[in-house]
Amino acid sequence: MLTLSGIHTRYPHATGFALEDVTFDVDRGEVLGLLGPNGAGKTTLISHLAGILPLQQGSISVDGQSLQQSRKTHPARIAVAPQEYAFFPTLTVRENLQCFGAMGHGAASSSDPFNSRITSRIKRALSFAQLENFSGQRANTLSGGLKRRLNLAIASMSDPDYLLLDEPTVGVDPQSRAFLLDAVRQLASDGMGVIYTSHYMEEVAALAQRVVIIDHGKVLCQGALNALLASDQTELRFEQIGLSDIDVRHVLQNYGQVQSSRHHIGQSSEHCSGQVLLHSHCQPGQVLLALEQAGARIVHAEFGRLNLEQLFMQLTKRSLRDN
Amino acid sequence: MLLALIRKELLVLSRDVHGLLALFVLPLIFIVVMSMALKDVYSPHVDNLAWSVIDHDDGAPVKSLLTQWTAESGKPQALPADWQAALREGKLKYLIQIERGASDDLISTTKPDHPRIVLLTEPGLDFGVFTALGAQIQARTTALRVKSLMTNLMAKLPAQIKPTMMDVDTLGGEQLTKVERQEAGSRPTSVQHNVPAWLVFGMFFVIAPIAGLFVEERSCGTLGRLRSLGLSPLTLLLAKMFPYLLINCLQAGLMLAVGVYVMPLLGGDALSMQHIQWPALFAILFAISLAAISLALLVATLVKTQAQANTVGPMLNILMAALGGIMIPTYVMPSTMQTLSRSSPMNWALEGLLNVLLRGGNLLSIRHEAMLLLALATVSISLAYLVFRFKRI
Repeated sequence: MLTLSGIHTRYPHATGFALEDVTFDVDRGEVLGLLGPNGAGKTTLISHLAGILPLQQGSISVDGQSLQQSRKTHPARIAVAPQEYAFFPTLTVRENLQCFGAMGHGAASSSDPFNSRITSRIKRALSFAQLENFSGQRANTLSGGLKRRLNLAIASMSDPDYLLLDEPTVGVDPQSRAFLLDAVRQLASDGMGVIYTSHYMEEVAALAQRVVIIDHGKVLCQGALNALLASDQTELRFEQIGLSDIDVRHVLQNYGQVQSSRHHIGQSSEHCSGQVLLHSHCQPGQVLLALEQAGARIVHAEFGRLNLEQLFMQLTKRSLRDN
Repeated sequence: MLLALIRKELLVLSRDVHGLLALFVLPLIFIVVMSMALKDVYSPHVDNLAWSVIDHDDGAPVKSLLTQWTAESGKPQALPADWQAALREGKLKYLIQIERGASDDLISTTKPDHPRIVLLTEPGLDFGVFTALGAQIQARTTALRVKSLMTNLMAKLPAQIKPTMMDVDTLGGEQLTKVERQEAGSRPTSVQHNVPAWLVFGMFFVIAPIAGLFVEERSCGTLGRLRSLGLSPLTLLLAKMFPYLLINCLQAGLMLAVGVYVMPLLGGDALSMQHIQWPALFAILFAISLAAISLALLVATLVKTQAQANTVGPMLNILMAALGGIMIPTYVMPSTMQTLSRSSPMNWALEGLLNVLLRGGNLLSIRHEAMLLLALATVSISLAYLVFRFKRI
């Protein structure tokens, strides 16, 4: 198990913590979704796990061994597939795999960096990422989807126990995305622990058994995805004509927490759409009735359990993250 | 791991066509062009310049002077109608104007009231050539005058002491003095100065590609990925060092070969490799290469963007070259600039190479320059390591 405990990080000259008391774990064979808006601290966390940024406070252990000790004996036990195309663009697919393969644990015990062990791993990585037909092609001439697959293939070369995937599907077509998600599932089913960060909530919802949501360096919530979404709270979304934004907020204040309420011009008239997280004792019908009694004409309404995106937005608020 | 990284660096380098062109072709072009262009600056010739003469005297001593001058400097051109314009425009490089009475002055024992032999040059004539022409005309007129005076003096002496007098032709100053450049092999030429100068420039030119590739690898996360695989900053820096040592080695071989074999084919002088102390040459080249690569790695770790790498590298190169005597020889600089030039690593490198190539220097004679270069390499690589170790990737 990969365990992070009480991690505090502060960059020089920064006013606040980049990470504050971050604690969570991920087991082998599990996909953990790590979610957070831009600037939440995900990259700092990944840098710690990758051994690039030394820990200031707290600890990381890998199967009971400290990260530092673990990196000494098996440096590539935790592999990273960064968000960027982290390979050598002028080298071919095979040359990239050879290079990174030789850097990993596989070559450390061998006098010949390009031994048969690496050759078999290259073959396996090419097959895993379905890159066999592109092995002689230079990386900078690959399509976006193929580059993502190469990024993942390189990460798998060192046969790691844990894999950090930082937004691995950015800029790829739906087919490549589906392939990559299947590949991640495959890695997890083979026993690899995967930390998966993405802004695509439906991907995380489809892959992850557990989720950690962080913002401003703090863990806002964590747990099994089903448990987090199985909240007692119900969200009601509606569109109405007749009441102003202020009137809606006034009417709903006793029924739940208003998430949003805004005007927009519809096809034929001015609508006001709203979103409210109902108190546990309130029923959606009561709310709609209260709105109608206040003068609203309900155009559309739907309600149900929170999905991951709604939970994320609820926890991290709507304000834009420009940094 | 180190071997795999070196192999990767060589592969990446071999596919960077523009980078390789800059590393090899640019210094070669500089060597050929600058050696040819500055050929006459290093060894000014006065024997093939277009010149003419206006002779209003027509006496025997002046005729003798002009005969001797023609023998040394080639035949004069016919005097153009507008010779002043021809001289201003440089069509004539110089003109010798001889007034009536010049022959009398040449054999007279009294001091002339004003110069009757005037050498006029075009405005753009190189200062060295100008000085050489002035010295030549003064030497020739002085010799003629001394000869004439001695002949007259001998004619007036009693016959019995004449045999003890020496021949006037043996009285020239050249019998007493000799000007000779102290050197190990052949005399220094433009090629012998420019080949080492632009070789040094080319070797330091690795700053741009090293910094550029480093920034690219850092920005695309490749360096971070390599670090995450347990590679230490020192290993990554060393892996970048070895391939460029090889590049510098190839540069040195190629450029010295151009000096020796290609320049003579282009009409230039050949770079003389006689009397070379090979251990000293290898030692100074190694020190230059280490210093250049280490400095390049320091720049690479300090710059943040590709634009900075593309600007800082060449700017640093040009500054060090201008200051260090690569573009302009230090001996033509004012004394303050000459002192300042000693702070440029390219000056240490150039002086070390000139010690070996021109003065036949051995390991002892290059120790000062080699130590300076090795000190620069040590400081640069240490700083590069510290920056790379603690800077966020």
